Amino acid sequence: MFSHLIVAYIFIFICLGLIGLGIILLFLMKISQNKEQQLREMYEQKHHDYFVYIQTHLEDEKALRLPPGKLKPLERRVIQDKYMEWIEQFKGEYRAKMIQLCRDAGLVEEDLKALKSFRYGRRLGAAYRLGGMRAGEAVPALLQMLQKGKYNSLLIIIARSIAKSAQRPEDVIEMLRTLLSHGKPIHHLAADIMLETGLDTSGLLMKLLDDQDPALVKVGLVAMWGQAVPEVMPVLGRLVGSEEKDVRAEAVKLYLSSNPTLKDETIVQLMSDRNWEVRAAAAKALGPLHAAGSIPLLVKALQDANWKVRHSSAESLAALGEAGFEALCQAALSGAGIQREAALQRIELVMEKKQEHSAIEQMVAYNKKRLIHDRYFGVKQQPIKRMPGIAAVGGDYTA
Amino acid sequence: MLFYGMVAVYYVMIVNILYFTIMALSYRNISTIYRRTKYSSYNTLSGSELVPPVSLLVPAYNEELTIIENVYCLMTLNYPTYEVIVINDGSGDKTLPVLIKEFKLEKIQNPEIRGTIDTETVRGIYHNPDYPQLFIIDKENGGKADSLNAGINFSHYPLISSIDADSLLEKDALIRMARMYMENPEEMVAIGGDVRIANGCLIENGAVKKISLPRKIWPMFQSIEYLKAFLGGRIGWSHINGLIIVSGAFGLFRKDYVIAVGGYRGGYPGEDMNIIIKLHRYMLSHKLPYKVAFCPEAVCWTQAPDTYNIIANQRKRWGRGNLKNMIENRGMLFNPKYKIMGLITMPYNVLFETLNPYFRITGLLALIGYTLLDMTHWRILLTFILLNFLSGYLLGVAAIILEEIAFRRYKKISDLWKMLLFSALKFVGYHQLGVLWRVQGHIQYLRKNNSWGTMTRQSWKEESETA
Repeated sequence: MFSHLIVAYIFIFICLGLIGLGIILLFLMKISQNKEQQLREMYEQKHHDYFVYIQTHLEDEKALRLPPGKLKPLERRVIQDKYMEWIEQFKGEYRAKMIQLCRDAGLVEEDLKALKSFRYGRRLGAAYRLGGMRAGEAVPALLQMLQKGKYNSLLIIIARSIAKSAQRPEDVIEMLRTLLSHGKPIHHLAADIMLETGLDTSGLLMKLLDDQDPALVKVGLVAMWGQAVPEVMPVLGRLVGSEEKDVRAEAVKLYLSSNPTLKDETIVQLMSDRNWEVRAAAAKALGPLHAAGSIPLLVKALQDANWKVRHSSAESLAALGEAGFEALCQAALSGAGIQREAALQRIELVMEKKQEHSAIEQMVAYNKKRLIHDRYFGVKQQPIKRMPGIAAVGGDYTA
Repeated sequence: MLFYGMVAVYYVMIVNILYFTIMALSYRNISTIYRRTKYSSYNTLSGSELVPPVSLLVPAYNEELTIIENVYCLMTLNYPTYEVIVINDGSGDKTLPVLIKEFKLEKIQNPEIRGTIDTETVRGIYHNPDYPQLFIIDKENGGKADSLNAGINFSHYPLISSIDADSLLEKDALIRMARMYMENPEEMVAIGGDVRIANGCLIENGAVKKISLPRKIWPMFQSIEYLKAFLGGRIGWSHINGLIIVSGAFGLFRKDYVIAVGGYRGGYPGEDMNIIIKLHRYMLSHKLPYKVAFCPEAVCWTQAPDTYNIIANQRKRWGRGNLKNMIENRGMLFNPKYKIMGLITMPYNVLFETLNPYFRITGLLALIGYTLLDMTHWRILLTFILLNFLSGYLLGVAAIILEEIAFRRYKKISDLWKMLLFSALKFVGYHQLGVLWRVQGHIQYLRKNNSWGTMTRQSWKEESETA
């Protein structure tokens, strides 16, 4: 009995001790954080004139001056943060000047030393700042840090720093290779990291698309979205036939988005691809390409198991003039199930767009479609879709 | 009687050791969280086309006072591509008319609804091309889960995020979650955000401008409670992939998997816990690698109930939902097929969350009875009470330390005093009420009481004025 109580007493005393320690720690932390915050504000105020000087002298040919006086560590950090903020915002010559200023102030050197620290937190902070200062000389050490690290969010911070600081495309590729070696399908994230680089993107993309590693090729393809890089088009043509399913899908999507001329057999091949993404991309492209000869293929694709393929086929049929629209109406009337549904939805959308057709030519095209529509369906409107329901309760949704 | 009392004492100690273990796991991860928060820049990511598009689903039931501010808040997030889908769940107030008026919405004649999850009848979908990313679904009343399912059916993007209509997201909240998703897109099936109490904060233009602790006691207790549950608990559970809940107030999900498990379960509270259990079950049954994660740096501010009746209703509902979920998924208990979920999370939840009130109440009664028989044993009773209080308080202090290490939202020293004080006061009345509400929730479950209870909202403007 007493031994039970003694266990409980020990537990109580441990709790009491830890609570006391915890409260002391909390107040110490709060006081030190608030003090640091106050000091930061004070230093920002103190160097206000210097910051104004930098902004007004960025265009001068002379090198920018260093901050006046002997600086305390926190003071240096406040100035460094401001430099890094500007490096992020500026481009070209202004950015180069700010990067040089970081070097002149010894900030790069300081963080290069910190990169050798025993404490991981210190090394990581230094890595982040070196990236912010675009310190090319830090890249080998950063790459080493990346290679030694376990895959987690912190590794991404190092990777971004490498992308920002790299002076050679090979370093960026090495960074991507290391990042992807963990086997995670992070192509979108890797592409986003890669695009942080200050190097010529088109050269980098060419290297990526030519790489033996499909993962790197995919990063290149993903990174190409939204980028106009005409010189990579021949490489894309080759990748359309790639064995890798994902690579092929991405390449086809990109290739078709550039409105290429397609042979009939290529269209047939793409529309019967095993990958739905390829079929959908092909179906989507056929409308804008005015490939009227592909109407039967698109009508057939209205029965595709994948929604996206059906949707894109219907969209393209609607874009292929009267012949395409008539095929859509026929599918809606004589087809069944998903084919009919996809066709009907598109027809309704086209009919709804009456008000948008202000130009005469568009108005004529619309009216022709209207006539075809009325011939097949009369003038009756499709009722709003109603969904089957199950009984449920309602109420407030707090937390 | 004494024996049972001592069993209860040991029960309390074991519960607390488990809580401490989870807390220790949270501590293990806090430095990583702090560093990734400090060193991650979202400037480029929030404008990148490479970030996956998200459909925000906002179920709304009688939210006329807060909905406009919330929709504005959601439409100005730092996120490249997303849509806001507000689902008016047959509100009895003017939720729909105020939305239509404010955003000049018009009914879409033939809306395209791709999903096939059964829901109550959709009366119409409203849209204004001037706000291309905003859609309002008006449907018959069917509950929160039903509304979310209707939102899923209409949504256009591969990721969905459920957000309560009484909550405000921080501008970077969604992009922070998306970053976490992008770091492991294949395995990440759900990510929960950190929910904090907005009562007491200054709200302007749909954003929290000045953070303060609540002035009223009920929201203040909840603020402390949320801090402990989210930072002290969920970071640790997330580390071992044992999270059993992603708060309904703010979570991000892979739509394909939510559809694969049949969407949200309608007809009963606790749908936020239920969807997570279903996701665990599905992924483990199909032997798919997966992760349900918690992202504490993605913050959502919510209006907490500030009167006794409303908070009591809410907690009873949670108690009912928890019991229902445990009973429904009892097959997972101690089942090695379900790994961490079957062997740790579910047993922990049943033994130390669902049944917790019964052990504590009966243990206390046994010790009181024993002491009444022989007053010389008052020490045992006092020990039991002290054990409960001190271990709980220690966990509260530990959670505040986590907050101070990584987030530091509350700047003033007086805030710290207040948090420490309320962490202690919580054990004098509020904690006991929590136990009582949970038991009452269980009774409601047994009586098949299935109502949601009432909830009154306060406009964010009023809330700010009183702050």
